Amino acid sequence: MKRGAALAVLVLNLLAGAGPIHAQSAQPGYSAEGLYNLGNAYMRQGKPGMAVLNYERANLLSANDPDIDANLSYVRTSLHLPTPSRSTFERLARCASPIALFWIGVIGLTIVSACVLAARLSSRHTWLRRVAGVVGFSMLSLSACNAVALWPLLHEGVVITAETPVRVSPVPMGDSLFLLPEAETVNITAEHEGFFLVQTHAGRTGWVSRANVAPVVPRKKWGLTL
Amino acid sequence: MNAIRHHHLWPAIVGLLLLAAAPASADDPWIYATIQPAQITLGESARFTITNLGDGATPPITMPVVSGLKFEVIGHTRQIEIINGTTLPSTSIVVRVTPQMAGIFSIPGVTPKSQPVVLQVNAPPGFPGAPPPSPQAAKPPPPILSGASIPKGVHLTEDGSAYVRLSVPKREVYVGESIPVEIELGLRSGFVTSLNGLPKLTGDNFTLNNLSRQPERSEKLIDGQPFVLLTWRSVLSVVKPGSFPLSAEVPLTVKIRTRPRKDTALDDQFGDPFWQNFFGASVPKDINVQSPAQELKVSALPAEGRPYDFHGAIGTFAIQSDISPSKADVGDPLTLTMRLVGSGNFDRVDSTMLDHVENWKTYPPKSTFNTTDPLGHKGEKIFEQPLVASQPGAQTLPPLSFSYFDPNTKRYETIHSTPPSVRISPSPIDSTLTAQQVAASGVPGAVDKRAEGLKPDHAEVQAMVSSLSPPYLQPRYLAIPSLLALAFAGGWLGIRRRSQPPERLTARRRAGARMNNRVLGQMEAAARAGNPTVFFNAAREALQQTLAIRWQVSPEEITADEVRSRLSEDADIQQLFALADESKYSGGDFRAIDFARWTRAVRQRLTEEPTP
Repeated sequence: MKRGAALAVLVLNLLAGAGPIHAQSAQPGYSAEGLYNLGNAYMRQGKPGMAVLNYERANLLSANDPDIDANLSYVRTSLHLPTPSRSTFERLARCASPIALFWIGVIGLTIVSACVLAARLSSRHTWLRRVAGVVGFSMLSLSACNAVALWPLLHEGVVITAETPVRVSPVPMGDSLFLLPEAETVNITAEHEGFFLVQTHAGRTGWVSRANVAPVVPRKKWGLTL
Repeated sequence: MNAIRHHHLWPAIVGLLLLAAAPASADDPWIYATIQPAQITLGESARFTITNLGDGATPPITMPVVSGLKFEVIGHTRQIEIINGTTLPSTSIVVRVTPQMAGIFSIPGVTPKSQPVVLQVNAPPGFPGAPPPSPQAAKPPPPILSGASIPKGVHLTEDGSAYVRLSVPKREVYVGESIPVEIELGLRSGFVTSLNGLPKLTGDNFTLNNLSRQPERSEKLIDGQPFVLLTWRSVLSVVKPGSFPLSAEVPLTVKIRTRPRKDTALDDQFGDPFWQNFFGASVPKDINVQSPAQELKVSALPAEGRPYDFHGAIGTFAIQSDISPSKADVGDPLTLTMRLVGSGNFDRVDSTMLDHVENWKTYPPKSTFNTTDPLGHKGEKIFEQPLVASQPGAQTLPPLSFSYFDPNTKRYETIHSTPPSVRISPSPIDSTLTAQQVAASGVPGAVDKRAEGLKPDHAEVQAMVSSLSPPYLQPRYLAIPSLLALAFAGGWLGIRRRSQPPERLTARRRAGARMNNRVLGQMEAAARAGNPTVFFNAAREALQQTLAIRWQVSPEEITADEVRSRLSEDADIQQLFALADESKYSGGDFRAIDFARWTRAVRQRLTEEPTP
């Protein structure tokens, strides 16, 4: 019993530490509303790249906020940039915030585990166990789908400067291949000494300085954290 | 137009000379070009004849293009020439050459192997550039090499047709030092047929760099004779220390007299090569005209006091540096520029600029050279180095330095630039600005018109996350499902352990069980076939294996006697061992029901747990 109590205390401590509330944390935090407002502020200053970056980040935390979607679409349309559309799978998989869906997955895992153990211990209440198992597995699947849907966003970046040169090599004096418009979203495939290897939606690739492209999910300086 | 009166003489003479030197193959074409006369006055024309001797295939002929000369094909001729008793067919292209300016023109060869020909065009009297009406017009010119008024450093050839003068500003130099030099070639008008190459230095201790491809042309009277002066400028450098003679030479084709000088006095008096040719007084000859040798003392650079960053630059230089832009964000590339201005061997002027600087990412610099003279001896070398700042704040970079050897002071010098300063702002990506701070940092009241269609701001809430990374990629979140999975696995194992006896099948028992299954299969097959020998042998073998495991002995030790002694109460096993021996020799009559009974009996013995 003592070991079980100690395990429970450890889990509770972890849950408390991993919670979404960071009011007491000295580390700067993010909120969907704050990022959305920051995007608006940058757009009013005539910096559409930074605006789109903050909208994308807000969208990461609150995928179903219609205002975020509306402003993202508006900025891209005003800049004559393509507006990516979400698939049905993506809409379903991002029906809630990643943290909420993570906890749903944890609860689903707990239910499925409890059902398996209960079946091993007793053969009674078969119907109840089956229903609970289906519910738990569904919750677990939803969380897994959310992880799959978020995976491409982890490698996306937004061009934050106008007429950004895309170079043939990761050095400032490398030959320029083409120019990227501000606020365009690109796929970041590699990083090397302050330069990102990016791929545009048209399939063109090249190296862009870190000062010109910001990942939607921030990374540590000069290195990948993903 | 009287200049083209003697056109029929020169092709025959040149053809004769060429035939004498040519290999004896009548099929090989022999192409040469002549111009008559070689010296005309502006407004006249010369006749340029391209002659092809022989029956062979005609190689491609390129009509020359010379700036200032106009070429017009005026006819083609076909003739038979008898030279030294040999009859040769020949075809000629006759071209009229009309100059559009005065000067010395070199007409390139019509084939790749042909030699160029020289045409001298004099300005008419009274025109700018025309030779001054000298006293020689009134009185007869002095003979060549009279020696009275030859400038210093000019040493004419024996026949007085040309000279080369090499001007070197100093006689004591250092290894690797660049010294601008001047090579002057004087050609007496009408005596030089062609220039056969560019000037070069004698000996292999010197190199000439950046020799001007087109020499400067001028005219001058030397010792009373008109000379055309061609002047090349170049940079001389020496590759090893020592004391070396230095001179320059130029390959030429000149006309040499075939008669004694006293017989050609009349020709010299007229100064017209036509008369010399007319009387057969001269023939062309290739010569190398050399300047008088000068002694050059070359010293090695001193080893004492040599700076660590000295790369071989010798001369006089000054340094400037700047950085642009002076304000930037973290991550923005900046350009640090270093300018080295002066004179010297700029090909050895090199710098790595800044290498490792804390909080800065540096890249290799690239350089460009802007020369202010045609020789590349004076100018400005610009080094540009890209830099990227990784920390915000006001930063001062280390001063740039450059080391060189000054041949005037005869010592090494190291010059430093002023330390460049720059202000680096935090990158907007990495900064943690709020919407209010961003709005406050802009121009008050100035709103981008594109923002008018935006949805309004939201009310901010306190709940925040510390990272935008999904929880699946954050270790502390991942610990929760991991612990749950571990707890589930532990619970499942605990329940399983409780529901099973403590004994575990050993590998040997598992192997025995697999063998029993195999033997039982063999028994069933033998029963179906009605073969008691195989049936009972398989049954005995299975029992031997099983009992050997239980009794911890080898299977060979399980005999009928052993079974009888250990399992005296089990009559079935004893009977089975007896039946196995019996069926081996006599077979037996067994029905299916008997096989089934013995199969059940064996299966029961194989699967029952041993008594402790």
